[in-house]
Amino acid sequence: MRCFALILAALLATTAAAGTFTAVKPATTDNDDSCDISLFPAATLLLPHFEVDFRSPATTARTTLFTVQNTTAMPQIARVTLWTDWSYPMLTFNIFLTGYDVQGINMYDVFARGVIAPGVAPGTGGTSNKTTVPDNPQNALPGSHPGTQPAPNNANPHFLPDAAVTCSSNPGSLGAALTADLQTVFTTGRISAPGCAAAVTDVGYPHANAVGYATIDVMANCDSETPIGSHYFAEMLYDNVLTGDSQDVNPNPSTGNYAGGNPLVHIRAVPEGGAAGQSFPTTLPFTFYDLYTAGTTRTADRRQPLPSTFMPRFINGGTNAFNTNFKIWREAFAAPAACPMPYRSNSNLEIAEAVRFDEHENATVVSLSCSTLCPPGRPGTGTAVAVSAANTTLWPPMSASGDVAGWLFLNLNNGGSSAYSSARGNYRFGTTTRGARQSQAWVVTSMFAEGRYAVEMDALAAGNGCSPAPDLSAKAPIGPAANPTP
Amino acid sequence: MSQPMRCFAVLLFVSASALGAGPATTANDDSCDISLLPSATLLLPYFDVDFQSPSTTAHTTLFTVQNTTPQPQIARVTLWTDWAYPMLTFNIFLTGYDVQSINLGDVFARGVIAPGASPGTSNRTAVPRNQVSGSQPFQNDQNPHFLADAATTCASNPGAIDAALLAELRSAFTTGTISRPDCAIMKNVGSNNHGQDAVGYATIDVVANCNATSPLSPLYFNGEILFDNVLLGDYQHLNPNPATGNYAGGNPLVHIRAVPEGGAAGTVMATELPYTFYDLYTPGAAVRTQDRRQPLPSAFLARFIEGGLNSFNTTLQIWREAFAAPTACPIGYESNDRMAIADIVRFDEHENATYGPPCNLVCFTPVAPATSSQGTTTSNFPRPSISGDVAGWLFLNLNNGGSEAYSSARNYGSGSTTRGRRQSQAWVVTSMFAEGRFGVEMDAPAVGNGCSPAPDFSFRAAIGPAP
Repeated sequence: MRCFALILAALLATTAAAGTFTAVKPATTDNDDSCDISLFPAATLLLPHFEVDFRSPATTARTTLFTVQNTTAMPQIARVTLWTDWSYPMLTFNIFLTGYDVQGINMYDVFARGVIAPGVAPGTGGTSNKTTVPDNPQNALPGSHPGTQPAPNNANPHFLPDAAVTCSSNPGSLGAALTADLQTVFTTGRISAPGCAAAVTDVGYPHANAVGYATIDVMANCDSETPIGSHYFAEMLYDNVLTGDSQDVNPNPSTGNYAGGNPLVHIRAVPEGGAAGQSFPTTLPFTFYDLYTAGTTRTADRRQPLPSTFMPRFINGGTNAFNTNFKIWREAFAAPAACPMPYRSNSNLEIAEAVRFDEHENATVVSLSCSTLCPPGRPGTGTAVAVSAANTTLWPPMSASGDVAGWLFLNLNNGGSSAYSSARGNYRFGTTTRGARQSQAWVVTSMFAEGRYAVEMDALAAGNGCSPAPDLSAKAPIGPAANPTP
Repeated sequence: MSQPMRCFAVLLFVSASALGAGPATTANDDSCDISLLPSATLLLPYFDVDFQSPSTTAHTTLFTVQNTTPQPQIARVTLWTDWAYPMLTFNIFLTGYDVQSINLGDVFARGVIAPGASPGTSNRTAVPRNQVSGSQPFQNDQNPHFLADAATTCASNPGAIDAALLAELRSAFTTGTISRPDCAIMKNVGSNNHGQDAVGYATIDVVANCNATSPLSPLYFNGEILFDNVLLGDYQHLNPNPATGNYAGGNPLVHIRAVPEGGAAGTVMATELPYTFYDLYTPGAAVRTQDRRQPLPSAFLARFIEGGLNSFNTTLQIWREAFAAPTACPIGYESNDRMAIADIVRFDEHENATYGPPCNLVCFTPVAPATSSQGTTTSNFPRPSISGDVAGWLFLNLNNGGSEAYSSARNYGSGSTTRGRRQSQAWVVTSMFAEGRFGVEMDAPAVGNGCSPAPDFSFRAAIGPAP
C-alpha cells in the first residue's frame, strides 16, 4: 500500500513537472523546456535569407556575413548547410570551434573566392581542430580563472571517432569546379543531375545575386553529409551551445550604402544532450527538421518547431522615404527525393492569408490560399525570399486613408503537406487543409532609407511553434495565439 | 526481487519515463523564456535624445507600440532616468489593431507626445468599419478590464507637456537633478554627465486606465496594471549627424510576458515565477509577484569588434535592475549609479581570455548605472588580448551582487549573489557601427532565462550556458 502511494505520488509529481497537471503557471522555470524561440544558446541556428553579389568588387558588392559562437569550454562542430530558395541543400561545410571560439563567415568569400574563412591556411588555423588552445587568462596566472579555460580539442565526449580526422582539414578551399557549380545553382537555379532522367533540373529561382538560406547544426564530426543524407541525424548532436548573428552589408552607394543585422534564429534541442543519433522522447509535437526525418523517428532532431504566423510593421514613404522589405524563410512543401528532384514544388508555396492594417486600423485583406497546391503563376513564394511590404501581388493593397505605415498579419501557413508529421493529430484545422500540421516560417523586417539608415529585426510571432496556425480572419479574430496550445 | 526492490524499480521507471521527455510545456505564455511574442510589458533598455540640436542633426530614439488584439488597450509609458527614477508617465490609448509611434525627440524637444496624431492616442479615435470580421476592431470601450475612469482619463490623450514639467524633465534626464517641493532638499536622480542629451530607459505596461500613476505607487500594481499579453513593439536609434553618426540601429523592445496572463486590474493570482520584473517595486504588497511579469536574466554573451578592415566599433547598451528600494524623501537613487558588475571576461578570436578591468596602480570593480551605453574599449571592460585580434566576445555577468530590497520565492543567494535572496536582472543590446553608414543593433544572447541563478565567478566555475 505504501509502495502504491509512493508510485502515485511520483506519477503526480512527474506529470505535474511535464506540464499536463499544472494548475499554476508557468509550467516550467527551467531552461530549454518550452516551445518558445528565444535568444539563448541553441543546437541549430537559422539564417533565414542571404544575398551575395559575388560578381562585383568587394568594395561595392552586397554580402551577408554570419558569426557562430561556442559558449562552452568544450570544443564543438558547427555544420553549415547552404540551401537554395527552393530548399535544395547545395553545400555543407564545417566550422570546428575550440572552446569559447567565435568564427565569422563572409559569404562573399564562399561565393566569389571559393574559400571559407580565408586568411587561415587549411588545416592550421581557426576552423580546424588543429587550433592552438590557449592557457587562460592572459592577464593573470594561468589557471587562476579556470572558468575561462577552453578544453582540449578532443575533449568533447560526443564527438564521433572520425572527428579527429574529418575536422583536421578545415577550412577548405572549395575548388574551382564546386565554386562554379555553387555560383550557377544559386543564380540560375539549375543543377546537373547525372543520375536522373533529366540531366539538368531546377532547384531554385534565377537571380542576379546568390540567394538562399543557411542552417547551422551542432554535429559530432566534420562529414559533408547534408540534412537530406541518410546519416545526418545519426551525426547530429543535441547540445544547446551555439549563438550567432548575421549582417546584410550593402556598401554600394547607389543601391544601399547601409547594413542591417540581427541574431540568427536560435532553435534549441528539447530535451538536450546525449550522444549522436541517440533517440530520446520529446513532447514536441513536431520538429524543425520534421520534413527530413521520414526514414527515422520523426522527432529525431528534437529541434523546436518555428511558428507560422507573424505581425511585422511596415513603413513605405513618409518624411524620410523609408522602405520596408520582409525577409521570409518558409518550410519546404515537398519531401526530399533523389529522382525526380521535387524542388519545383517548393517554388510557389501558398500563403494562407495576409491582412494589412494602416495607422488608423483600416484593414485590407487578401486570401491567397488554394484548395490544392497553388498552380504555377498563382502568387506564392519560394522558401527564402525578400519581398517589399509594398508588393500588392502578395500583400493586400494600401488602404485609402493615405497612411504609409502600419503592420501586416501574415499567416504563412502553406496549408500543410502530406510529407509533414505531427505526434498530435489535432493541428489539422483552420488554414491547415493537408497533412498533419501547418508549415513553419520566420520573418525578418528590414527598413531602410536615404542611403544611410537601415534597421533589421525579427518580426513578432503570434505564438510559439507548437501553436496551430490561426484560422482565416473571415472566421476568427486576428490576435495572439490561443493559450494554452492544444 | 524483493518487494521493496520491486517498488524501487517501478518508481525509477515511472520517474525516468515521465521526466525523460521535454519540454515540460508546449503552451504559450508558460515559461520564463523571453521571446518575441505578444507581451504585457515592453522594455526600451536605453534611449538617448539630443533635444537641443536641430532635428536634422539631432540623434533621437523612436519606439512603436502595437496592439495585436481587436480589444482596445492602454499602454502606459514610464520614462526612467539612468538611476532608475520614474520621472514621467504618459498613456497611449490603442484602438484594436492600432499601432502608435513615439519620437522621444518630440517629448524632450517640443514637449508633445505624438504630435499631429490627435486624437490618435485617445479613446476618441474613430473605429473603422473593416470588411472582414476577424480584422474588425472593437469599440473603444469594449475592454472588460478597463476601469470605470478609463473613459474620462483616456479622453485627453495625447497631451502637451506644460513648460514647467518640460523644464524638469530636461533637467532630470541631463543633469540628474529635480526639485521636489515635498522634500527638504533637492536630490539627484540621475547622472550629470550627459551633456545636452537626455538619457534613460522606458517601460511600457498594459494598464486599465490613463492615470499618471508610476510604478513607484502601490496603486500601480494594486489597481491599474493589467496582465494581458497583447503588445508588440520595436525601437530605432537614429543619428542623422554626418559628423557623429549618419546611421540608424533598431531592435525589438524587450517583450516581457505576464505568466499566468489575464484577469482584472488588481487580481492577485498565483504564479510559479520565483520573482518578477517589477519585484523591487512591490515591497508593500501581500504578494511580491503581483505583477506576474517574467524576470530578466543577469548574464549575457555579447560579441564585439573594434577595428579591422571597416573600422567597426561596438557599444553595449546595458539595462540593469536598480539596487535601492524606492523611497520618497530622501531619494536614494545614488545607490543605483555605480552598481558593481560581478564578472566580465573578454575572449578574442583565438579564445585568449582577459579578465577584469585594467589595473594600473589600483584594481577596481567594474560598475554601471541602471542604464548606460558603453564602448567595449572603455575602462569597465578587460583589456584586449595581446594577440592583436580586434574582435571576439564578452561574458557579462551583470549581477550587482543582490540587494536586500529584492525578494524571491526561492533562495538564489549563492555564487555571485552575496546579498539578499537573488541576483539582479539585466538586458544587453549590442550596437556595431562603422564608416558613418553601417550600423547594426541586436540583443545579446543570454546564458539562460530569468529564472536561472546568476552564474558563479569565472575563477570558480566554467563560463557556459545556464544549467
